[in-house]
Amino acid sequence: MTGDRGQTPRYRVSGLSRREFLRRSLLLGIGGSALPGLLAACAPQAAPQPQPPAQTSQQPKRGGTLTIVRPIDAVSLDPTNDTTSAGGWIATNIFESLLKLDYDMSLKPWLAERWEQVAPDRWRFYLKQGVKFHDGTDLNAEAVKISVERAISPQSRAASFFRGIKGAEVRDNYTVDIVTDGPYGPLLRAVSTWFMSIVSPAALQKYGQDFGRNPVGTGPFKFVEWRTNATITIERWDGYWGDKAYLDRVIYKVVPEESNRMLALQTGEADMVMIPALAQVAQFKRDNRFVVHEVDGLRVVFFGFNVNRPPVNDVRVRQAMNYAFDRKPVIDNILEGNALPATSLISPGIVGYKDLSQYWAYDPRKAEELMRQAGYTKGSDGFWAKDGQRLTLKHYSPRGRYPKDAEISEAFQAAMRQFGIQIDLQILEWGTLLNKYTRTGLDAELGTLGWTDVPADAHYTLGSLFSCASIPPNGFNGMEYCNPAVDELTARGRANPDEAQRGQIYAQAFETIAKDAVLVPVYNTKEIIITSAAVKGYRIHKSEYLDWLQYTWLDK
Amino acid sequence: MGRFLLRRALTSLLVALGIVFFVTLILDLIPGDPVLIILGQNATAEQVAALRHELGLDRPLVVRYVDYIGRALTGDLGRSIMTKRSVAAEVADAWPNTLLLASAAITLAVVFGIGLGAVSALRPNGWLDFGVRILALLGLSMPIFWIGLVFIYIFGFYLRLLPIGGSGTPQHLVLPAVTLALPSVALVARMTRSSLLEVLGEDYVRTARAKGLAEPVVLLGHALRNALIPVVTVIGLQFGQLLGGAILTETVFAWPGLGRLVVLAIFARDYPLLQGIVLIFALSYVVVNLVVDLAYAWLDPRITYA
Repeated sequence: MTGDRGQTPRYRVSGLSRREFLRRSLLLGIGGSALPGLLAACAPQAAPQPQPPAQTSQQPKRGGTLTIVRPIDAVSLDPTNDTTSAGGWIATNIFESLLKLDYDMSLKPWLAERWEQVAPDRWRFYLKQGVKFHDGTDLNAEAVKISVERAISPQSRAASFFRGIKGAEVRDNYTVDIVTDGPYGPLLRAVSTWFMSIVSPAALQKYGQDFGRNPVGTGPFKFVEWRTNATITIERWDGYWGDKAYLDRVIYKVVPEESNRMLALQTGEADMVMIPALAQVAQFKRDNRFVVHEVDGLRVVFFGFNVNRPPVNDVRVRQAMNYAFDRKPVIDNILEGNALPATSLISPGIVGYKDLSQYWAYDPRKAEELMRQAGYTKGSDGFWAKDGQRLTLKHYSPRGRYPKDAEISEAFQAAMRQFGIQIDLQILEWGTLLNKYTRTGLDAELGTLGWTDVPADAHYTLGSLFSCASIPPNGFNGMEYCNPAVDELTARGRANPDEAQRGQIYAQAFETIAKDAVLVPVYNTKEIIITSAAVKGYRIHKSEYLDWLQYTWLDK
Repeated sequence: MGRFLLRRALTSLLVALGIVFFVTLILDLIPGDPVLIILGQNATAEQVAALRHELGLDRPLVVRYVDYIGRALTGDLGRSIMTKRSVAAEVADAWPNTLLLASAAITLAVVFGIGLGAVSALRPNGWLDFGVRILALLGLSMPIFWIGLVFIYIFGFYLRLLPIGGSGTPQHLVLPAVTLALPSVALVARMTRSSLLEVLGEDYVRTARAKGLAEPVVLLGHALRNALIPVVTVIGLQFGQLLGGAILTETVFAWPGLGRLVVLAIFARDYPLLQGIVLIFALSYVVVNLVVDLAYAWLDPRITYA
């Protein structure tokens, strides 16, 4: 007898909260700055030291363990092998880069004390001396060369952010040159990213492929233990060259369920929550046992037009739709105030940012005027029509790839229905949609997409989203927007080593794109982290993956 | 017995081979370009080409399949795309946690399921039976996701008796094990009850009672053992499923097991890792079923595998 096996119901459903994965693959952003004058190129300089966050009058206490709950484990602690914020939060406490992208998005000296441009395609960095890695070896030019070369190699997940960099050359023990492929203005931004953290060559040698599980850097904390999908522990490194951390150790726990992360904070099992439940943020703001840290983030979410498809190949129709869409209720109600209206196609803080919101300020009357100019008349059914054809558009959106992506697309659909345009909205699986944006082309008039300028210098966004060369199947320009003037500005900006000038050149390109109404920009993300009130000296960074804890302490 | 084992081992092998084939096939079936999805928005052309080659997508399906089996036989399940660690190491991290949780849950299911089922069958339609049946119905009907959150709220947040999630101490095991066991307890209890009621009507039970044996002896010594065959079947199937990782329970309680890992692998499109996990699932299931078959013979000496 082999048993009369009855029906066995299955109880486990293979689904889980989408928020858990929301950020997993969201490629992080790092910021850049349009702050002029901080870095005049071509001259050796010693910029101001990074400032610790503003302190209260209280004297910081040393010691204690900070417990952080987050939705997802790091992929790897090798800075060239993890482009998610889940890895960045931890790695940026273990590793340091040549330059530091400070809280105000300006660049500060870090492992490099000063730097200069010695030729159009060559920058020289003078390293801080006496810095040691956690394994006791010295930080020197050779370590920098190795770190730079592995960050730009094809094995690096971050290689695409460093396309302008050719390699590094050791000048002497504490001087290193980074060589670029012709004039490359964004170089300083590139070396400040955490992908280009300086890693211990001895540890690389020792651990090989498993370096990502045994990270050794120069930062204020050193790696202790990693229990997969459970906890990662780091502890203060007392051999640190700068201000030593206050905390004894930091434990990062994985708690996938967002409501459980909030409960962990309330029961005291955790001191800090990464990616909190947005619906509960307001409630925690009112509770003085907690502190809600928030700052505007670096991602913009928008609807892109395929500008080659009629009827949206008419710029007036695209402009009209921009003016006819009131973003405020969307941000207040759907995003519950946890986002900001988009004021450009990139976020404030990225080199090239300029407020362009005048090109999509809500103005229904102007929108109607533009529609009439484009030859449309409003029928008795309330829809705009031309030659007896009702204006109907197809729109693709993912669900759960970006915060409330499908919901805002639905809100847009409703707003356009009211304005007189019919939108057929289709929610597509992300893989399918990604393939359309980048390979087969967008076979709809509209598509929802989010974008972070990862190197914090807009040449990246302009080159990837808006250049003739990146139209599918060669890139992300699903809008199929091709304007030689924009391409020319992008190239000119990229070659300019002066950050202020570069930013102005990029801003011109964005203004052209905004006038051409290639997108319907919707919102700019906010970064939100909640801590217990006992956590002091903490400051949130605009970049979603930077979470420095050097000056954080516990008052308990 | 030997021939039976051999036959079962061979069928199991075929099942495993078939499953690996389907997993290999997935790469060709999913919408979009898997390489592009894995690498995301920032991949360079070199990276795309390198990964395409690494995944073997530049080679025909059959070649990929045979190659995978060849490597798996030497213990090489490939390298995770996501973490770049060996798949074997990733699975080895999560597997003990899943085994611990599944064993705890199935133990609860056996003890409480059979216990409650027996109590229920003793006085059919009595108030105790009625209570157990209601409980079983609740256990089967309440979604794990919801009951897990309720437990966390009551025991973790309100009473503060147990941690709300995580792993590492015995206290951490309590809530996920109980949550995961609930449907199994309910199912085993119902199965035990109905099977026992059937057996209690048999002639030999009447004979035992006629001999003047005490009711507990009749129940435990004569009836229960015979009633257990279908129950063991259910327990085996349940255990096989639990070993496949309890995705919802592991998610709700932040338990670092295979269930969490498989979801991560799916979302990251980490195919080598996914293949490795599915292989482990399949083998666990096959082994548990084999053990169940052997348990029949132990429970009922009339069953032989000639």
